[in-house]
Amino acid sequence: MSSLWKLLYSLKFTIFVIMTIALVSIIGTVVEQGRDAAWYAMEYSDRWVDIILKLKLDDMYHSPWFTGLLILLVVNIIACTIERFPPKWRVLLRKVDKVDTGIIDKLSHRDTFNLNKNTSEFKSTLIALFTKRGYKVKADDVSGGGIALYAWRGIIGRFGSDVTHVSLLLILLGAIIGSFAGYKDFKAVYVDTSFSVPDSDFEIRLDKFWIEYYDTGQIRQYNSNLTVIEDGKDLFTKHIWVNEPLFYKGIRFYQSSYGKAWDRVAEAELTLASKGVTKKIYEPIVIKWDELTSIPGSPYSVRMIGYLADFAYDYQNENFYTKSGDPNNPAANIVVYDSSGEQIATTWLLLNHPDLLGPIPGTTDHLYLTGYRPTHYSGLSINKDPGTNIVWLGSTIMGIGFIFAFFIYHKRIWLSVEVQEDGINTVKVGGIINKNQLSFDKEFDGLVAQLKLEAGVAETLQDNEED
Amino acid sequence: MDQPKVIMSLMFFTMSLAFYFLATAFYIGYWLTRKDWMGQAGTSLTYVAGFSMTMILIFRAVESGHAPFSNLYESMVLFIWAVTIGYLWMERKYKFKVLGAFVMTVASLAMVSAWLLPFRFKNIEPLNPALQSKWNFLVKILEPLGLEKYAIGWLDFHVFATFIGYAAFAISFAVAIMYIIKIRYEARSKKSFLFDSFPPSKVLDELSYITIAWGFPFLTVGIVTGAIWANYAWGTYWSWDPKETWSLITWLVYAAYLHARVTRGWRGKKAAYISIAGFLAVIFLYWGVSFILPGLHAYA
Repeated sequence: MSSLWKLLYSLKFTIFVIMTIALVSIIGTVVEQGRDAAWYAMEYSDRWVDIILKLKLDDMYHSPWFTGLLILLVVNIIACTIERFPPKWRVLLRKVDKVDTGIIDKLSHRDTFNLNKNTSEFKSTLIALFTKRGYKVKADDVSGGGIALYAWRGIIGRFGSDVTHVSLLLILLGAIIGSFAGYKDFKAVYVDTSFSVPDSDFEIRLDKFWIEYYDTGQIRQYNSNLTVIEDGKDLFTKHIWVNEPLFYKGIRFYQSSYGKAWDRVAEAELTLASKGVTKKIYEPIVIKWDELTSIPGSPYSVRMIGYLADFAYDYQNENFYTKSGDPNNPAANIVVYDSSGEQIATTWLLLNHPDLLGPIPGTTDHLYLTGYRPTHYSGLSINKDPGTNIVWLGSTIMGIGFIFAFFIYHKRIWLSVEVQEDGINTVKVGGIINKNQLSFDKEFDGLVAQLKLEAGVAETLQDNEED
Repeated sequence: MDQPKVIMSLMFFTMSLAFYFLATAFYIGYWLTRKDWMGQAGTSLTYVAGFSMTMILIFRAVESGHAPFSNLYESMVLFIWAVTIGYLWMERKYKFKVLGAFVMTVASLAMVSAWLLPFRFKNIEPLNPALQSKWNFLVKILEPLGLEKYAIGWLDFHVFATFIGYAAFAISFAVAIMYIIKIRYEARSKKSFLFDSFPPSKVLDELSYITIAWGFPFLTVGIVTGAIWANYAWGTYWSWDPKETWSLITWLVYAAYLHARVTRGWRGKKAAYISIAGFLAVIFLYWGVSFILPGLHAYA
């Protein structure tokens, strides 16, 4: 058991898990993710399809074995933290009772020189000097007139790795919460229609959809105006575009796509023509979807109740349908009323075949579809992910952890003043840094130079303090 | 369709190309002959090259009307610029000119690959809807001044941070190669005119670490700001798109490096190999994914 525990918190295991996750992750970038079985059957040989589906390589980042690897990483992080953090905390934050300068002889950065000054005066100089350099200082008087000094700074840098590890756990926690408590959805919405949002108590209405173009004809931006409706009341309207979603009650609405509707239009242009004894072509009129409109100068009123982009007739089921989503054969379904409001006809008008369906019954008046303005639908991605903020929190904490770990170094200096028998006092100083030895070389040399100056053994500061 | 005006930036690019070749040649000359004036010339030319790259970025911003980080060519310029600035900073601080022979070779190779890109990559394309990521508050501040098109957003941060990270990894890669060479000669304790001028392997190991210690946080910021942007543009902060996955792979490799460096039996040589593997992952993440694997990032 204890050897298993040792394995779990060992750094070699960490490196093994990290490299394994890195290596297997490559698979999912080569095998396309999230396709259906038929697609893989077309792209790969039978043997490979078998492997892909058995190992769930089609959705590998959500497969049990990949999740298992992530769990191993989490276990490793937790084991490391339990094993290493408490002793580190105890050692680093222990109150220094008595300075032990015996360590100086074991340090690689060390120096020895004479002190040509009064010891107690030197001691206060030292405290001021180290404090000015950002160190915390503990200086003891040693029996016989010597000094034992310990100065340290940047302890927090030692905890950078722990902060980073915790932040990684937070990010993973956020991802887990998102995948269990959130959802993703897509809605194609027409202008002036609304839909109720899943898993919530409000509705969204699309008020307007438009596209902006560059001069070159390339699309600059898709835009929608969305209104939030709650308890039957309009709450507020927001203009969204790609990169600017609507956020309400934990749910985000993104502009993700658009398209032309195949079963409705915004407006149609109709032209009435009398072909009886008196021939007359009326002014074309524009009618809106499902809105009763009278044709000026005539006894008729019309209402558009249907539209098909690629009109066709199904003889077997005796109904009309659209062969495709493209406007190859646009047709409008129009109801015609007479002056008393009596419905006299329901007819399909075809843009490309104006005379297919004769005159309005009982008259010599013909109605033509002479134009239309398509309705776009706005494709909205709907995303609820309550874990997102935890992921951002984790990311922020990770940033703090990095600042601690990479940019704050734990530096420790020990200094002793020993009174020799011949009355000459010697200063021994040694220092250590937890990382970035190169920069410490210079800093230590600079420190020693300054100490020598203060000790009265050097006339001027050597110019090696330059950074 | 009138041609966008990329003349100035292309002119500076051509000049930069020459500066990089010359600087690299002088640094290599310095390494092979140990003549100080060659090292001086290399350094001076690198400063000139860095200035010239800065001018490309400024002119691209003026020519295109947005931050110059929107396609492969512009990002290459940013990458090489960051390698140059990072290297100059390192040379000032640690004074090992011989590193220039290796780092500037990497920079020159990157220049050549950017130079070989077809013209349509170097031209300015209008930004597609997903790339128009601007902070609203900044747009509102700049609008009265008529400068709103220069507003920046998460996307600009994402690209900028990512490429600072890549640049640091490129420097670390060059240093790691020097480290591998150096320890072979140190182990044999034979004199070698070529490799004695390398800094001691301990120093090279430290330099490789320091650059990764810069690159790793920047890559992380790049990934996180990319996630924030994706959360605005695509409706999800992580979608396991090949570019995202490869950025995670690269991140993991460098995370492994950082752990290897504090592990007995892994520090030194093995860590250096991980650093080299990490940069190979960067190259694939950067070029390989864009040209070989399909995905949302296909445009850059």
